[in-house]
Order: sequence, then structure tokens, then C-alpha cells
Amino acid sequence: MADEQASIALLLRDSPLHDSFRDESAFASQFESLQRRTTRAFKPAPSYHLTFSLFAGGSAPSSWDIETAAEQYINPLLQALSSISDFTVDTQVQLHASISPAIAGPTFDTPTITWTLLASDLSGFVNAAEWPLSPGIGSGSTINLILYVPHPRQTPLTLSGGGNSWIIPQWGGVQILNPASNTTSHLSAAHIEPVMLTFADQLMSLLGVPDSPPSLSLRIAALQRERTTSLILSASSTLGALVRLTRKLQSIAIPKTVAHSVELTISHLEQACTALSEGDYAAALTSAKVAEAEAEKAFFEPSMVGQVYFPEEHKFAVYVPLLGPMGVPLVMTLIKEARGLVGRRKGKVKVG
Amino acid sequence: MHLSTLLSLPASLALLTLATVYASPHSYTEHLHLLPLPQSHLHAHFNFTATTPLSAYESSHFRYFPRSLAQILQHTRTKELHLRFTTGRWDDESWGARPLDGTREGGTGVELWAWVDGGGSKTVPEERWSELVNSLSGLFCASLNFIDSTKTVRPVRLFEPEGDHGSEKGGLQLLHGMLPHEVVCTENLTPFLKLLPCKGKAGISTLLDGHKLFDATWQSMAIDVRPVCGAADGGECVLEIQQSVSMALSIPRSMRDRHDPIPRPAKIEDVQCDESKPWNGHDTCFPNAVTDEPAWTLSKVFGHAAKGACDLERNDQAFDVTLEVPSDRPVNATGASELTFPSTTRRHYRLSASSSFDLSLPACPSPVNPMALFTPPLYATRQIAGHGQERGSMHTTLRNPHAHPLTLVYMESLPWYLRPYMHTLRLSNGKQEKLYYTPALDRERGTHLELVLTIPAQSTTTLTYDFEKAVLRYTEYPPDANRGFDVAPAVVRVLSEHGGFGGSYVRTTSLLLSLPTPDFSMPYNVIILTSTVIALGFGSLFNLLTRSFVLAEEVPPSPLAGIIRRARDAVKGLLGKKTGGDEKESKAADAQAGETAEAPSLAKERTDGKANGIANGHADLRERKARVVT
Repeated sequence: MADEQASIALLLRDSPLHDSFRDESAFASQFESLQRRTTRAFKPAPSYHLTFSLFAGGSAPSSWDIETAAEQYINPLLQALSSISDFTVDTQVQLHASISPAIAGPTFDTPTITWTLLASDLSGFVNAAEWPLSPGIGSGSTINLILYVPHPRQTPLTLSGGGNSWIIPQWGGVQILNPASNTTSHLSAAHIEPVMLTFADQLMSLLGVPDSPPSLSLRIAALQRERTTSLILSASSTLGALVRLTRKLQSIAIPKTVAHSVELTISHLEQACTALSEGDYAAALTSAKVAEAEAEKAFFEPSMVGQVYFPEEHKFAVYVPLLGPMGVPLVMTLIKEARGLVGRRKGKVKVG
Repeated sequence: MHLSTLLSLPASLALLTLATVYASPHSYTEHLHLLPLPQSHLHAHFNFTATTPLSAYESSHFRYFPRSLAQILQHTRTKELHLRFTTGRWDDESWGARPLDGTREGGTGVELWAWVDGGGSKTVPEERWSELVNSLSGLFCASLNFIDSTKTVRPVRLFEPEGDHGSEKGGLQLLHGMLPHEVVCTENLTPFLKLLPCKGKAGISTLLDGHKLFDATWQSMAIDVRPVCGAADGGECVLEIQQSVSMALSIPRSMRDRHDPIPRPAKIEDVQCDESKPWNGHDTCFPNAVTDEPAWTLSKVFGHAAKGACDLERNDQAFDVTLEVPSDRPVNATGASELTFPSTTRRHYRLSASSSFDLSLPACPSPVNPMALFTPPLYATRQIAGHGQERGSMHTTLRNPHAHPLTLVYMESLPWYLRPYMHTLRLSNGKQEKLYYTPALDRERGTHLELVLTIPAQSTTTLTYDFEKAVLRYTEYPPDANRGFDVAPAVVRVLSEHGGFGGSYVRTTSLLLSLPTPDFSMPYNVIILTSTVIALGFGSLFNLLTRSFVLAEEVPPSPLAGIIRRARDAVKGLLGKKTGGDEKESKAADAQAGETAEAPSLAKERTDGKANGIANGHADLRERKARVVT
């Protein structure tokens, strides 16, 4: 409860609604840990594409029972989260995945006979140049969950600080699995059960689900309310940016669709606020989602691009070659005449 | 007879793929076919085939099928896709029929055709097509996004779907686009290799290197995606992706060391002279055409040996590399096991995961009975005739070398600025069965011309029509406007005798069309000329009107004139110091100095006098005026 209040206070801190919220000094101590949770999580999006990838350093394993494992462990979680966003799942297997040459790479640790990966290498581990991790087509963000099976020459592979998985903020999570034997070409569902549980955990933190209280449904409810707040804030700031843009570029033409979207946004924002005050959190979330979608659609209307409207300097540049040769002698003569006039006036004053 | 031999190669490959399909729905095979060609060339055909069951495809669980391509196909509802990147020219006369009957190659540049789920409307396929070309452009680092409505046509008889679409076939629409100006290079090969499961790190894909591939005389990269429904085991359909790279490379050129690629002539002792020439002597030599088969090594031709093997779910009878040479040619293979098959001209090898594979063939004099090359079904060439920037004519020559008449479909997709006159379409020595023609709309749609022709046996047909060139707007010209514009190659499909699916494809070369090009420096010239005219005219007139004439002495000394005068005096003083040196000269200089000292005072008196004179003159003038008035 206190955590939720603190997180909402954090959300409102940077917004214009800040002064109406009282007594936030009590939560200042929790802000740091909450800040870390929000920077790690994805921005609120209407849909998320989950991609489970198996990267093998060598030529094995070349298949895994991901369909049954995902059905068993991930789908229930996604159904519980269905009120927040839509989710799509796809999986892939990639072989001969070499580690990025930009990092130092695993070093052999003779006492424990393992290969260790330094903590500084973790952020650069994903070889974006070679590993095909193209984002999903369509709207929404992509969450990449990677299972890496090292090359037989580099097993077993561990992290220097212990553990075998880590999260890359706002991108996804990576896990390392050292296979029992070097020649398995297929990972069975039983084999990847602990892997899926870690993936579920990583997914929860990537979506920004709060850590406490222990009950999952209460945490999801808390996430719903936080989501509603952030969506309302983002929709209203987008609207404000749109208004400032129209004021700055006076000559911009606003299409009817944009006007309609703005109307819808405002009405849905009002509905969301009334629903929140009444305590109907589910309705508030749906209205807030619609408001956000309409605001984004209005702002990113392709025909309202700022570069199409020429600034006034361009018109100046066109007329200077024509008026320059005329203007320069006029200006010089004007200056000479002005000096002459001033001199004559001085002379008159002297004489008279 | 001819057709069966022509189709024997693709038939064997097709059998291979079907066999593996029945084995397991997720499958992957790869194969390399090597065939030495006349005139020291080598034809290498790499084929990579992966399949995925349609149920796994629809639920987005991928194993060997590339996920990035599958996403694009799912999103744009494309059911069958054929994409080609080609450069170079296949020499029909020397090398015979095209590999796989031209079904795995495209016109120069990029060629793309796909069957898209129409959704029952006219505009939906075009939207999906535009999304498809934009996504493929990003995936393959090629500017495929330039295939817009001006370059897209809908062929009628030219292509048939290669996959089994079942009941959906009626709702699919075929769209075809070509980009002849596109340059194909390593940045297109890298994404191609990334789609493979073994990613160019194991197996025959390690031989694919950008330096050697794009140095070849002719090369073509192809990606074909189609659904295949095998009737045998319960009829589960699979989606198959076939990636192939076909290249004809010149052996001496590829064998040159990469660090020393300069070609050097052979020593005169090694050159065989043609002794029948009249000028043949000890110092004049006309070299004989080389007919011997040169020595070559696989690692030298491709840059390095094939490392490892990519054996994923393969059965024991599969082989990786096939070399097609006469049975008496000695071949030395290392690092692979040779499989024995009844055929005597083909040797099959199977790579092993732990060693690298190399083939070396020593040089050999021209064989007594060389490998019979298949006669191509048709020879097709096309040129633009005419002169001037206003009109021209298109001239296509189709030659049938066989003893039976041919029925063919000839398709051209012309840009809108090339306006053909259809009433001038003439066909000599052939019969036109049908004509499909969609006229062009300026800046919206190009011309689509499709003809079904019959050519009699052993004869040549000429197809000509006149056209007119359009003048484009100033901003529509490309950066190097005087190079000209590329016209897409014409595609010819030779229909097989039994009708139905099948047929060979022959493509002409692309053409360069020179349109009337404006002088792009004119805006600058106009601005400069206008400014100059205004400056001269207005400036002179303005000066005449506003200039006040005063006597030279009354002009206030301008600072610039003072600076110039002082500089001149300083220079004179320096020169004077240099020339002076003798006592006499110095005395003379003193005397001169004395004289000159007097002179200014005299001059001053004179000028004063002058000034007085002027004042007197003014007084004179005033008196005269007074006298006139009174």
C-alpha cells in the first residue's frame, strides 16, 4: 500500500499535477529503489511481442520443447496480465551464435575449471550485429528473452558474481544454460523448466510489476493503477505538445481526423478520471489506454510534418540575388547623404 | 527428349527436397553443384532448403525457418515469395542452357514477385505489396522500397504458383516488380547468409565470400518461399524456403591471389601461336584460343576450403557436394567421404563436421568427347534503336534453334516515360496468339505488355515497336542524370509442350534509355545574369542621376587615396635609397635635394597662384553673371 502510494507519488513528481499532491516527503526515501524499477521496465505500450530465442554457441542443441513449456509456464501469466496489454509469443533457434567481439569474452578460471564472464561484459553480451533479433512488426514493443547455450569449448560458463541470468533494461533478459552433455541436440520440456521460471520472473520485472505484496493478483492490481496514472499523464502531455506545435507553426493545416482524435482523447481522459475517483479501476485503465492511443495517433499524423512548412529565411534567400544589386547602391548613397546632412547641420550651427 | 534431359537436374533436386520433407516436417538440407564450363569457367550452384510445418509457422515457433522473414510474410499475408538479386550476363552461346532452366535467376538488379492474399478487394493487395517491399528492403539492405506503383505490374500468363495453395488459390493476386538499376553487393549477401541456420560458419556456406562472389562473370542469389503439401503422410503442409546462389566464375580470375590481384601476361615461351596466320613470325604471335581445361583448386577459387558440415536432421544417403566432370578426369578430394552412385559423370561427396573439404583438379587437355551442354530453349536479345532525344524504337530478336515450333510468353514492364506506340507493333516471322496490354499513366503506372507468340522451328523472329520519350520534371532526374535511365529486362517464358506447369525462363539484358536532360546549372545562370543586368543597368542609371560633379581639389581626401599615396611614396623612397651609393651621386642627390626643396616652394607659390587664379576666375564669373542680369 505504502509502496503503491510512493510509486504514484514518483510518477506525479515530474508532472504539473505535482503541487496538488501533498506530503510526498514521506516517500522520498523509497524513491531511489522505485526509480530503479521504473528505469528497468518497458514504457507502457498497447501490445508486447515476446520473443524466446535459443542461441547455441556451437551447432547443438538445435531444437527445444518451447511450445509445451511456454504453454505451461508463460501463458497463465500472460492471461493474468491481459488487462494491462496484449501479448504475442514467438520463438526461434539460432546456431553458431558467437559472442560479440566488442567485449573481453569469457576467461578460463583454472581453480574452478569454469569459464567466467565479467560483470562489465554483460551489457555488451548480445551481439546485435550478428544475432537476428529484429523487432516485431506492428505497433508495440518487443521483449527479447534469450537462452544462451555456450559452445562446447566454453562450457561451463558462469558469471563472475555468481548466478546465470541478468536483465537488460527496456530490452529483455538473458540466461545461460550449461548442458549436461555436449551432444544433446534437443532440449526437452523437463530440461527447460527452471529456464522458463526464470524467464517468467524476468518478464515480471521488465513489465514493471511491483515486488510486494506476495500475492500476484494484488501486484497486478497495483500495476493496473500505476499504468492508468502513467497513461493519463502521457496522454495529456502529448496533447499539450500538440497544442504547442500548432501555436508555433501558424501555417500548419490540421486535418479532421486529428481534431476527432483530440476530442476522443479528451473525453476518454475525463472518463478515466471519473472512473478513478469512483474506484472502477478496470474501466479507468481501458479509458486511459484508448486516450493514449488516440493522442499518439493525433500527434504522429504523417501529413502534419514540420519540415514541410518553409521558414521565412528561405524566402529571403530567394529574393536577395534579385534585390541585392539594387539595394546596395541605394544603401551606400543613403549613408553618404546622411553623413552629408549631419555635416551640413553642424556647419550651419557653427556659422549661425 | 531434350526437355527430359533439361529437367533432369532440377528433378533430382526436387526429389531430394521431397524425400526430406517426408522424413520430418522441420528439415534442412544443403547442396553444392560444381560444373566446369567451356572457356575456363566454373558454374557453382549452392542450394539451401529449410522447411517448417504450417502449424508451427502459424503459431510462430521457428527452428530452421528464419523468423525475421516469416514475420514479414505473416504480416503482409504473402503466401508465396520469389526474390532475386542478379548481376552479370550468362553467355548462352558458349555455356548453353541456363541453370535450372532459368527458374532460379532474375533480371539484372533485383526482381521480386509474390502471391499476396487479396482479401477480395483491389487496393488491399497493393497496400500489402508496398508493406512487403518496404520490410524486405530493410531486411536485405537493398533499396527495394523503390518498387512502387510505377514499377509494379500484374503478369497474366508469365508465372504460375510453384506451391500447393489448395483452395486459397483463387484469392491470391500476383504482383511483380523489377529494379534494374540496383547494384548487388556484399551488403546483400550478409543478410542472405544470416537467414541460414548455419550462418556461413559451417558447411558449404563457408565458401560464400563477397570478394569472390561479386567478382564472378554472372551471379544470382535467389530466395523462394512456397507451401508444399505432401500427400503421403497425412497431408501436413509445410512451408519451404529455398535459398540458392548460382554463379559462373572465370577460373583464372578467381585463382588470382587476393593480395596480388594484378593480372600478368604469360611468358612468351608458354603462349601457343596460331601458325595459320600470315603474319606469324618470331616476333609476331596471334595466341590460340585456350581449349584446355585449366587446373583449379576449390580453396583457391573460393578463397578458402569448406569448413565443417551443417548436418541437421539429415539422413545417411544425403550428400553435400556434387562435381560433374567426365569420368576420366582425375580429381583429388580431401576431407570428405565420397559416396558412390551409378552415374559416371557425377561424383558425390559428404562433408564431415571435423575437417575442411578441398577439391583439386589438375590441368587436362581438351577432352575427346566433351560434356554435352544443353541447347538453350531460346536465344533472346533486345536493343533500343533510333537516334535523337525524342523518339526511338525497341527491337527484340528471338531465335529458335530447335526443330520444333515454340510457344512463348513475352513480357515487358516499361517505365511511364517510355511511351510505346502500339499501332507500330510488328512481328516478323512469327504468329501472335494473344496480347495483354495495360497502357501507362504518367507518374502512376508503367506500361505492361505481354504477348503469347509462336515461333516456327529453326527460325528467328523480330519484334519491333516505336516509342516516344517523355520530358521529366526538373526534380525527377536522378543525381547522375546524363547517364540515362534503366529499362527493366524483358522476361520470356517458353511454355512446355505438354502444357500445364513448367517451362523455362530466358531474360534479356536491361537497357539504358537516354532521355532529354536539361542543363541543371540554369537556375544558377539565371540568378547570376539577372543580378548582373540589374547591377549594371540600375547601378549606372542611379549613378548618373545622383552623382554630383565637383572640381578635383574640392573633393575631400578619401582615406583610401591617402593610404595609396603614402604606400607609393614609401616604395619610391626605398627604391631611391637602393640606387643611391656613390659620393658623387650623393652630392648630386644633395644638389638635387636642394633643388627639389626649392621646387615644392615654387610649386606651392604656383598653386597658390593658381588658387588665386581660380578665385579670380570665380570672381570673373560672378561679374559676368551680374553684367548679364543687369
